Amino acid sequence: MTTPLAPARRLDNKPGQPLLDVRDLAVSFKVEHGTVQAVRSVGFQLHRGETVAIVGESGSGKSVTARAVMGLLTDRATVAKASIIQFKGQDLLGLPERLRRKLRGDRISMIFQEPMSSLNPVYTIGDQIVEAIREHRRVSTAAAKREAIEWLEKVQLPEPAKRFSQYSHQLSGGQRQRVMIAMALVNKPDVLIADEPTTALDVTVQAQILELLRELQRQLGMAIILITHDLTIVRKFSDYVYVMQNGQVREHQATRQVFAKPQHAYTRMLLASEPSGHAKPLVEQAGRCILEARDLRVSFKIPVGGFFNRRSFEFVAVKDLSLLIRRHETVGLVGESGSGKTSFGQAVLRLLDTTQGEVLYDGQPIAHLNRQQMRPYRSRIQVVFQDPFSSLNPRMQIGQIIEEGLIVNGLGATREERKQRVREALVSAGMPPDVTTRFPHEFSGGQRQRVAIARAIALEPEFIVLDEPTSALDLSVQAQIIELLRRLQDERGLSYLFISHDLKVVRALCHRVIVMQSGCIVEQGPVEQVLHEPETEYTRTLVRAAFEVAA
Amino acid sequence: MMDTDVIAIRAEPVVSDTAEAAEDIAPVSRGTNESYLALVWRRLRHSRTGMFGLTLVALLILMAAFAEFIAPMDPNASSISFAAPQVPEFINGPGGFSLRPSVYALVESEQLDPVTFQPLLKPDLTKPQPLGFFVKGASYHVFGLLPAETHLLGSLDGSPVHFLGTDKLGRDIFSRCVYGARISLMIALTVVLIVTLVGTTVGIVSGYFGGAFDRWMQRFVEIVLAFPQLPLYLALTSLIPVTAPTHLFLAFLIAVVSALGWAQLSREVRGKTLALARIEYVRAAIAIGASDRRIMLQHILPNVMSHVIVSVTLAVPSIVLLESFLGFLGFAVKPPMISWGLMLQDTANYSVIGSYPWMMAPVGFVLITVFAFNALGDGLRDAIDPY
Repeated sequence: MTTPLAPARRLDNKPGQPLLDVRDLAVSFKVEHGTVQAVRSVGFQLHRGETVAIVGESGSGKSVTARAVMGLLTDRATVAKASIIQFKGQDLLGLPERLRRKLRGDRISMIFQEPMSSLNPVYTIGDQIVEAIREHRRVSTAAAKREAIEWLEKVQLPEPAKRFSQYSHQLSGGQRQRVMIAMALVNKPDVLIADEPTTALDVTVQAQILELLRELQRQLGMAIILITHDLTIVRKFSDYVYVMQNGQVREHQATRQVFAKPQHAYTRMLLASEPSGHAKPLVEQAGRCILEARDLRVSFKIPVGGFFNRRSFEFVAVKDLSLLIRRHETVGLVGESGSGKTSFGQAVLRLLDTTQGEVLYDGQPIAHLNRQQMRPYRSRIQVVFQDPFSSLNPRMQIGQIIEEGLIVNGLGATREERKQRVREALVSAGMPPDVTTRFPHEFSGGQRQRVAIARAIALEPEFIVLDEPTSALDLSVQAQIIELLRRLQDERGLSYLFISHDLKVVRALCHRVIVMQSGCIVEQGPVEQVLHEPETEYTRTLVRAAFEVAA
Repeated sequence: MMDTDVIAIRAEPVVSDTAEAAEDIAPVSRGTNESYLALVWRRLRHSRTGMFGLTLVALLILMAAFAEFIAPMDPNASSISFAAPQVPEFINGPGGFSLRPSVYALVESEQLDPVTFQPLLKPDLTKPQPLGFFVKGASYHVFGLLPAETHLLGSLDGSPVHFLGTDKLGRDIFSRCVYGARISLMIALTVVLIVTLVGTTVGIVSGYFGGAFDRWMQRFVEIVLAFPQLPLYLALTSLIPVTAPTHLFLAFLIAVVSALGWAQLSREVRGKTLALARIEYVRAAIAIGASDRRIMLQHILPNVMSHVIVSVTLAVPSIVLLESFLGFLGFAVKPPMISWGLMLQDTANYSVIGSYPWMMAPVGFVLITVFAFNALGDGLRDAIDPY
């Protein structure tokens, strides 16, 4: 350990008094049995006009730290007595709630991860910005409105005057995040805390939002605390980095140094866990085709109107898509949200009805089979979902979850034999075999994803649809899951359809990649070719956004 | 074979050994494995109101089950009508004192009430009736089988005691309340059982299959919900001939109340099912080829159960209230059965309440029951979702 846990001063020896000086911050939460130390003895310094990144995986305490600075902790949280949060030389923790509220949204602002839920759906976005202005300054409503529209223009929202009277559901995710930024910045704060501001957004939008933040920072001279798990963003946008793990600062350095010479083992591990490597080259280039889609069209009927004038219009999610997946091959299906990639995956699994076209599995048409006729294929085609928290039934034991597929498909003659297969599947997925009587809530996200993979491979399938299996996971866990998927493919000769928006993971796992945009294929080809020499502008944007962030 | 597999996987340097260990082993070895019920019980135990409610509910059910033993008197035996409650006293005879509490029988004194000119009742202080536990009294059969005559509490010499006074026919109100718990709780629990079964089944089936079936089912539910309940109860109960046997009448009452009660629960369960049917573990179950039946029983039912259990505990008091209300109007249970509602029918006029306030005693029992089940429901609501 080369650095003290509670850094009292920065290693880059920046002169002058810091704008925000946090020392010995410790936060504990009351839980059912005693307390949990979420943050212990964390310190950091923030100077005017710079960007400090706080990096860590989920549960590292980075968000709790930010909330403690904002004074937004829940009632169950206790900030230790010795903690100091100095803002312009004034200890915030000693201030009465009334004065802290005056600072919040005025001198210190915050934007959150989820733009869907951080705007109130029953007020127009204009009202919400005006509220933020008039809460802190005595301005007439008309003046506040003018100012709000000005800000909507500054955050580069098209048609700001019109947007002023719109509601949040009329905006896209990226636009909502722009509104959130406008709301946070209207009072020209000294400090902006951005808690994973782009995690919920598409990669291309992510780059635009970060660029916007940087531009506004230049104009206003505010300091930004950027909380994130994404090292690419850190490298591109921050001046100084604090790496947190288990509620402690493991390392802090100027950004360039961290990436050049990481000191702490944890930082090195984080850096190393960026998805890397490649899929093993295919043995036989023209292997037998396992799945073929011919002009597949998936559409939804969306009802409009009320009970008496019920009409519906057809929304086409997948437009006449054709693709071919060979044995032992991993095909990546890439696109932004709404591009129809998940709908395609579900149509292949027959979780969604195909409107038109045909899917051939091993030469047999399956697109229009009913549930009963689909039965024989179920054990051959499997799926792993994105969110391991909702893909495992919380009321079933791990053993039951994995065994269910065996029971339903009549695999394994006796109970003992099924149990044996469950244990083997768990071991293959990198889990200890003795966890069968535990419940999903006892496991972390990565472990749950392993269980979900075990459920899929217990049926000994030939083909697995992987629907963003790594995007809900921490970086280091993500690397392990990629490794696991690669190994399983080798051992069992699986074919994967890998649905993802993350081109880094796609590069590490896929042989071929197909880029989708609004239901159509834009580009396809071997992964290296598509990522290095993208032919279409759309792919170029995606690639730039993923590997360079700043567009 | 298995062991080498494990070692092979462990040895594989994925990222770094420490990271792997932290991710895989630490949480797995944490804590003991607890079943769902154990978790719920552990959390319920921490809730003071919940435990208080549970204790009261248990006591009420025990009281109903062993009514003959707990009631000091035969509920149909009559003595002096409208006798005031007897309070146990520690005075033994005129001026005497004894640790064993006694009650004094009420006798008509020579004085007359100045308004009604009825003889006033006074305790007969010359004849103390010492009280005791496990005394002999009216004979009964335990569960209709074993003959017995021991009562939990009563006078040692077997003379009548009325802790809550007597009604107009001179029957012991306390004993009748204890017996009344039987019918009142039986009605409430049966209705709730039927309502739960029907409501949950309809809700899950309707929500899971969706489509046209769901659309028509929900219109039907809306019709049931829109029915003006009280007039319907009254109209339906008056359909039954007055001469019908009491059991038939009781069954009919249960049927009517259940028929109108399931709709609300089915609505709630359908709502939860709609959300659950789109959740990924249900999709994963479809993807492994599970049948609809299996998905509904294995994946959806356990996850709506918490909601159902809470709504059950909150529905019991409302049925108890409804029964007492209908009983008060004379539409619920017919004599010779005893229920709290039926007993309250006697309090229907002002002069009774003014002169003999102890006739209101069943209200106290209804209140306790409502409170007990509500408290239990409250505790369960917090305890039942431990994840």
